[in-house]
Amino acid sequence: MPGPESELLHEWLRHSAELAPDAIAIIEEDRVTSFGELLAQTQSLAVRFCQHGIQPRDRIALALPKNTDAIVAVFASLLAGAIYVPIHPRWPQERVDAVLAECGARLLIEAGEAGPRIVDLGSGACIEWLTPEETETDLALLPQLTAEDTAFILFTSGSTGRPKGVELSHRAVGAFVRWTAQEFQISSGDRIACPSPLGFDLSTFDIFNMALCGATVVLVPDNIVWMPRFLVQFVRESRISCWYSVPSILAGMLQGGHMAAHCYPQLRLILFAGEVFPAPALVKLRAAVPEALCANLYGPTETNVVTWRSVPPEFDGSQPLSIGYPCPYAAVRIDAGSGELLAGGDSLMRGYWNRPDETKRSFVMLDGILYYRTGDRVSVAPDGSYLFAGRLDRQVKRRGFRIELGEIEAALLSNEDILEAAVVAVEGEQEAVMIAAFVRLSSPGAVNTADIKVHCGRRLPSYMLPDRIVFLDAIAKSSRGKIDYLALGKMAERLKRGD
Amino acid sequence: MEIETEIRKFVAAHYLPDSPVEAITDTMPLITSGIIDSIGMLGLVDFIENHYAIEFMPREIDVHALDTVERIASLIRAKLSGSKTDISPA
Repeated sequence: MPGPESELLHEWLRHSAELAPDAIAIIEEDRVTSFGELLAQTQSLAVRFCQHGIQPRDRIALALPKNTDAIVAVFASLLAGAIYVPIHPRWPQERVDAVLAECGARLLIEAGEAGPRIVDLGSGACIEWLTPEETETDLALLPQLTAEDTAFILFTSGSTGRPKGVELSHRAVGAFVRWTAQEFQISSGDRIACPSPLGFDLSTFDIFNMALCGATVVLVPDNIVWMPRFLVQFVRESRISCWYSVPSILAGMLQGGHMAAHCYPQLRLILFAGEVFPAPALVKLRAAVPEALCANLYGPTETNVVTWRSVPPEFDGSQPLSIGYPCPYAAVRIDAGSGELLAGGDSLMRGYWNRPDETKRSFVMLDGILYYRTGDRVSVAPDGSYLFAGRLDRQVKRRGFRIELGEIEAALLSNEDILEAAVVAVEGEQEAVMIAAFVRLSSPGAVNTADIKVHCGRRLPSYMLPDRIVFLDAIAKSSRGKIDYLALGKMAERLKRGD
Repeated sequence: MEIETEIRKFVAAHYLPDSPVEAITDTMPLITSGIIDSIGMLGLVDFIENHYAIEFMPREIDVHALDTVERIASLIRAKLSGSKTDISPA
């Protein structure tokens, strides 16, 4: 029996399934899957991948909604030595095509009328999703892997207009998940909610703690994630014990007293990451679930979580909560000149897929340790923890999703009626980020707001779409002829205030 | 006021400022096109629930059922008349 000491994510599943085959692994609304069933389906699909000729490091694109089949496909890809690439089923086709091309996916798994459909993107051949059980001989087809092998690629916003793929190894993901399991005492009795899409690194906590600890993962239906009333009901009725999401989702549940109106006796752990949690909302969270441990986790996709802190009992919201102290597997330091947080250690990415130059630029070697330049400015608080102090570039966060404003500009400029485009974000302490796009058209009225939104909607995921489109005869420039983002930012602030 | 007109006005005011109400046709995709995002959907559902005094079930929060003015209006009418709603994607 493989021990839990294995560093391979799929070995964790095998271990848990052998220990307790009848325990519940996944709950997806009315569909309940045991560890034994999950392992059997996973092995069967992995064998089919190998029989089809899938080789280690081949990419398998998963464009399924977040359901049981998607998790089967995740573990089957890993077992076959392939690299899975999550694709959100609601991404516009252009972005899907760009990601498929960028990663050179060999297989695409998407939702079909009668279950998942697996297509070989080279030959056009289809692979059956369900087939008879495999034999022992078939299982011998599965390759031997090491912890350094890549597990998956997560695509994130790219400043030049092309999304970029962050390549993460079994070791990198394992370092984070193992630490959470130990630090937060995750066990087979836990019910872990999975509110995030599989393409978002937060979901690794949910699905891989299920595999490592034999816990149950409860999939949150996508249509209610942003519907606080239903989400609160879901947490209560599903008896969720561990929750990990972006603060925006929690803040939504706290608004209007939805969350405070009920008790959650099982909810013992609330983790959040991806953006700043407005301090007053955090105070409300503590009041709504006083028994739960609440903790702030910090780290970009490239390093996963590298610092953390629990919310102290005396936290009153008068000061922002810091991003805490380094995780035991992380190496963290501050660049003395710029104040940039540099992060390395076991959870560090292998690099950006197929982009050696960009990878090289994003890393720095100091005293024999490889660090990722996070682009986040930090300072050190009196208690020695790190305080987030903003970005060094034009990246912004909205609902925890990161957005390179340059990618929105590139999408706007792909419209032939838009001659110039500049995008700015207005951030407030309490309110959501507002993204304003300033455009100069080829002729007045050539396109309207709706046309531009629809044009962007064909290229960008919905969280990246600008809230306001402002038509200008000329876009403010500095004396050197560069776009004056400062002036545009002030205009956007006035727009937000409604001046 | 006709339901379609009320929905069009709400969408124009909240998601397409600076656009005339007439720019929003009955069959124009609002969610799948990106005009209204996840948070926007929450605002739309809140508006419908409050304005028409109806309550959605979790399964009725469906991207396709709420994607156009036409479908939103028919969903509202069905709920107002108390009949079973059809949320299957068209």
